[in-house]
Amino acid sequence: MRHGKNRFLIGALAAPLLLYGVFVVSPYAQAFYLAFTDWNGLSGQAGAVGFENFTSLWSDDLFLSALRNNGLMLLVVPLITIVLALFFAAMLTMGRSDQRGGIRGSRAYRIVYFFPQLLSVAILGVLFQFVFTPNNGLLNGVLEAVGLGSFTRSWLAEPAWALPAVMAVMIWAAVGFYVVLFAAAMESIPRDVLEAARLDGAGRLATFRRITLPFVWDTVQVAYVYLGILALDGFALVQIMTVGPGGPNNSTEVIGLTLYRAAFTYGEFGYASAMGVTLFFLTLTLTAVALRATRRERVEVA
Amino acid sequence: MATVTYSGATRIYPGSEKPAVDKLDIEIQDGEFLVLVGPSGCGKSTSLRMLAGLEEVDEGSIYINDTDVSNLPPKSRDIAMVFQNYALYPHMSVFDNMAFALKLRRMPKADIKQRVEDAAKLLDLSDYLGRKPKALSGGQRQRVAMGRAIVREPQVFLMDEPLSNLDAKLRVQTRSQIASLQKRLGITTVYVTHDQIEAMTMGHRIAVMKDGLLQQCDTPRTLYEKPGNTFVAGFIGSPAMNLKTVSLTEAGALFGDVTLPLSREVRDAATQDGGDQQVTVGFRPEHCKLGAEGSGGIPVEVDLVEELGSEAYVYGHAAYNDSSERFVVRTESAHVPRLSETVYVVPEPGHEHVFHASTGQRLN
Repeated sequence: MRHGKNRFLIGALAAPLLLYGVFVVSPYAQAFYLAFTDWNGLSGQAGAVGFENFTSLWSDDLFLSALRNNGLMLLVVPLITIVLALFFAAMLTMGRSDQRGGIRGSRAYRIVYFFPQLLSVAILGVLFQFVFTPNNGLLNGVLEAVGLGSFTRSWLAEPAWALPAVMAVMIWAAVGFYVVLFAAAMESIPRDVLEAARLDGAGRLATFRRITLPFVWDTVQVAYVYLGILALDGFALVQIMTVGPGGPNNSTEVIGLTLYRAAFTYGEFGYASAMGVTLFFLTLTLTAVALRATRRERVEVA
Repeated sequence: MATVTYSGATRIYPGSEKPAVDKLDIEIQDGEFLVLVGPSGCGKSTSLRMLAGLEEVDEGSIYINDTDVSNLPPKSRDIAMVFQNYALYPHMSVFDNMAFALKLRRMPKADIKQRVEDAAKLLDLSDYLGRKPKALSGGQRQRVAMGRAIVREPQVFLMDEPLSNLDAKLRVQTRSQIASLQKRLGITTVYVTHDQIEAMTMGHRIAVMKDGLLQQCDTPRTLYEKPGNTFVAGFIGSPAMNLKTVSLTEAGALFGDVTLPLSREVRDAATQDGGDQQVTVGFRPEHCKLGAEGSGGIPVEVDLVEELGSEAYVYGHAAYNDSSERFVVRTESAHVPRLSETVYVVPEPGHEHVFHASTGQRLN
């Protein structure tokens, strides 16, 4: 058995490694290479241009506004999603006023919260276009109905409101999944620890802050990384939902969209690759920083 | 300084007809150490959790002093509990574990420090205050759990099988530590265990429960000497009492050819309430002798002898009334019978326990 071990390992790993190399590693390598050329996507030759693609990124207004918008999304989307998901998950698992369990109907809520996760981004984009439509959209309709008619506006057409509208959709679509994730983590907290906290005089808020949150911190950390990556993307939603897309006045431009346009509209594949490489390093840095900055000692049940 | 009173307290779990705890009535004196004991599923833990406020009281009430606490949340009851698995907060140091309740009460920092350090000294934990629970041994964790209860200086201590996760030697040690600590602090304590030896050695009084019903609540000595029914008789004492249901005759209880004399009142009581000419008689292994042939003892064939050094337990069976009955007898080590030998078991007069054959209630 022993001498056959390596052969078995190689046999089992060869196929996946090969596929991974061809379809994941090689495109990465290619993108890194192209980022230093002026390839137009069609011609047979690509001239080396050194760091020119990267330096011109910093004077490209479109790219800079995309960077700013992604930065804003990165600040807002993960934070609000996690806060909302933690709140809902806590209500589902320990929301009853006597702290003996979730609020009434918590099982049903858990299923309903997961629904948005079942919709593809394309459907989501189209759906919310209708919600935000100025004349007969759902949002303005509701605002009118409850007497807040003065707040109605053309959501996706106003530069100040288009990005918040996009972010709201991202959050709406993401919260449900993290509610389920956090609720599962909260349910794994030993019951007697929560009971001990109740006997020690901790109310719902204190229990959440002092017991629940430390227990689920690992999960929150993972959620933050995923949501950060989500916030640095946003291409599909912006492409489908916003005017332009990316408008009005570049207010919803995201790096993915700029990249897509540079490559497939203007034929600047080298330049687009440089954006891709930049985005890659941004995401990598974010992940490393996020994991590092939020590191706490793991809670292990003794 | 508190008394605890269960008054007809009942708990019926949702979805079940049968109460887990059925009309429990116990009065616990100030400073008393009361042990709730019984086989698993008898409702002892549920009774404790009802007092803690972790389970609802469906009927009846529970009083601490003269206050009805049945509907108060746990934090308003001023009780502290030691859990079976200790339920320490794993992300907090030993100090923070003990200080948690005090911090929530917004007690001044200096006072908290003082109280935690005093408790730590009492429990020999002073060197471990900075450690996390996972860096402690089982015994140390158990003491932290005790400390967390002590620092609060509660009206009532509740302990739910706090020793069951310790090894045998540590359990015996900790048993006496807890008992002496309770005496020193003088705080009313309710202690749950399934171990009758723990109950006998620690409790001022013991409440024996079975199937949600209180069987008997009395001092260890009374439970041992005058068990109120057959269940208590069989549960208290180790090895268990020899408890046999046999025919009742004019003279007494009939073990095969051997008659154990019973008084007239006992015989009359045994025939009431559908006694059906039967009676249940019990005698403890330490309250009988091994006699010679013809001494009037019950003939028992020896199956097993347990040598404990100072004494020995003889296990055997006797065939009478078409059935084979098992007996246990304690004997001096000097006169240990051989296997398969027939010995004659003579119950010591005055130490027999007589119970009604169908109701199981004590008759003498």
